[in-house]
Amino acid sequence: MSRAPAKPVRPTHGSHGGRIGVIAMHAFTQLVRMKVFYFLAVFAVIVIGSNFFDLPEHVGPEMSGVHVLHAIKSWSLGTMTLFSVVLGIVATALLLPKDVEDRTLYTILAKPVPRLDYLAGKLLGVLLLVFVSLALMDLLMTVVLHVRTSILLGDLMDIARARGWSVAEVASQRAELLSHGSNWSLQGAVFAVFLRASIMAALALLISTFSSSTLFTSIISFLVYFMGHFQADARNVFLDAGAGGHGQVARVIGLLVALILPDFQLFNVIDAVIEGQAMPLLLLGQLTAVGLFYAVFYTIASWFIFAEKEF
Amino acid sequence: MADATPAVEIYNLVKDFKISFRRQPLRAVDDVSLRIMPGEVYGLIGPNGSGKSTTMKALLGLVAPTAGRCAIFGKDSLRVDSRHEVGFLPENPYFYKHLSGAETLRFYGKLCGMRGRVLTERVSELLNLVNLESARDRRLGAYSKGMLQRIGLAQALVQDPRLLILDEPTAGVDPLGSRQIRDLIFKLRERGITVFLCSHLLEQVQEVCDRVGIIFQGKLVKEGRLEDLIAIEDQIEIILRDASPQLVAQITALVANSPGAAVVRTGKPRTTLERLFLRATHSDES
Repeated sequence: MSRAPAKPVRPTHGSHGGRIGVIAMHAFTQLVRMKVFYFLAVFAVIVIGSNFFDLPEHVGPEMSGVHVLHAIKSWSLGTMTLFSVVLGIVATALLLPKDVEDRTLYTILAKPVPRLDYLAGKLLGVLLLVFVSLALMDLLMTVVLHVRTSILLGDLMDIARARGWSVAEVASQRAELLSHGSNWSLQGAVFAVFLRASIMAALALLISTFSSSTLFTSIISFLVYFMGHFQADARNVFLDAGAGGHGQVARVIGLLVALILPDFQLFNVIDAVIEGQAMPLLLLGQLTAVGLFYAVFYTIASWFIFAEKEF
Repeated sequence: MADATPAVEIYNLVKDFKISFRRQPLRAVDDVSLRIMPGEVYGLIGPNGSGKSTTMKALLGLVAPTAGRCAIFGKDSLRVDSRHEVGFLPENPYFYKHLSGAETLRFYGKLCGMRGRVLTERVSELLNLVNLESARDRRLGAYSKGMLQRIGLAQALVQDPRLLILDEPTAGVDPLGSRQIRDLIFKLRERGITVFLCSHLLEQVQEVCDRVGIIFQGKLVKEGRLEDLIAIEDQIEIILRDASPQLVAQITALVANSPGAAVVRTGKPRTTLERLFLRATHSDES
């Protein structure tokens, strides 16, 4: 054994933000070293493959390009949704029980780390992973869309010359084609996918504070994810209780579901973007507010449970 | 002037665990009180399930006392700021396998607010201290049990705490590694660091501790200075080197002629199996 350290080390006590950042970066590194980015290869295959899906309902040769762009966006955003939600839920559900089981949690909480900092750090680490994953997928989708749109624009010009379209007609067809390519609304849709995954990750964090296994947390989280798509119906049950003649129990359940679960139907705007519609900035702001509200709400609820937990 | 604030104070600690809805709660710790002064090495010994680990967890705020309270250097142990002065090595710790030794220490150092050159120097210093300099960039997944225990000790020391809590620090470690950990405890004591440890290895506790407490079925049944507790008051030991048989016979005769005194045992003192093992493996290595 070597010499004991001679001079004392007196560290500063650090800030909440600093500690949360350290735990978040650590959780991110931990997940990256679990080789989760391998799924990007699968995504690449799907995006490139979506170029070759044969769609039967072409209006005409000039519109076939739009369908290809539609297919690329649809498959890409669908895959992004799937990966981000699965990643958000499973990664969050994995991290907490693993720390408890391996007793690494003891060594962390034995340091001057408030439990809220620990939870927030873990969640932010997962969100960083989801964000980076989506950014990489978005980049790939944008490149594929850009290349494909350029090719289709060339084809459109050929058709326009062959058919002798007027300048106004060419401009109209060109605008129509570009509205299905990569644009800011599409980036907004990708951000909406991130917000939805963030809500689910925060929910998985809440469940994992009282759950005893990763499997239980994952199953319940996915169940809640599907229930979230019926939140609007539950809200209607609550609001229409008097007029509709629903019972008191149904009214209370409706209220609870409407309060606890986010309305995932709000995120149907992603489908509209795939169809080529623009995403209003106000709607994106509304989605951001909903995402932030539920992420913070679930994290604070997690803290209330976790603060009382004994190890 | 010496610091008069106790490093550890446990007042009438009671901890019950709920087993199920119907059954009575299990009392893991029953009215335990103890005080450890700065610079002391205190050993808590007892059989499995006697409440040693629960007492330590209560001291670290990992479990909340059912009754009583714990304090570290005067600060309630349920407060996060009480942990600035404490380092903890749990029993059989598993650290993050994806991190290397140096990354592990950096991670724990950053949690304590350390950054930059201070942290870098501290990491190297600690790796040197626990003899893991050569394995600094190796991932912990490839560390042996003894190495894990030593990196665990290093992480406990990262912010230079005044109190070190060790739960079975040599559990599952070979005699050589065990000796290294024991030597480290001696060095920490020389530096004035308070050590609170629990162990099943009574010989080691006897070797390193100033004071011990014996806990059984949640109750502290005996506590005090080690020398006072284990001394046999009516006996005296004289160990001679190169004594001739005639000298031994003369001493024995002298004792026999003294009223009330008696020779209890004569013979050659024995080394321990551990010392024999260490001597043998050391000569093999050299």
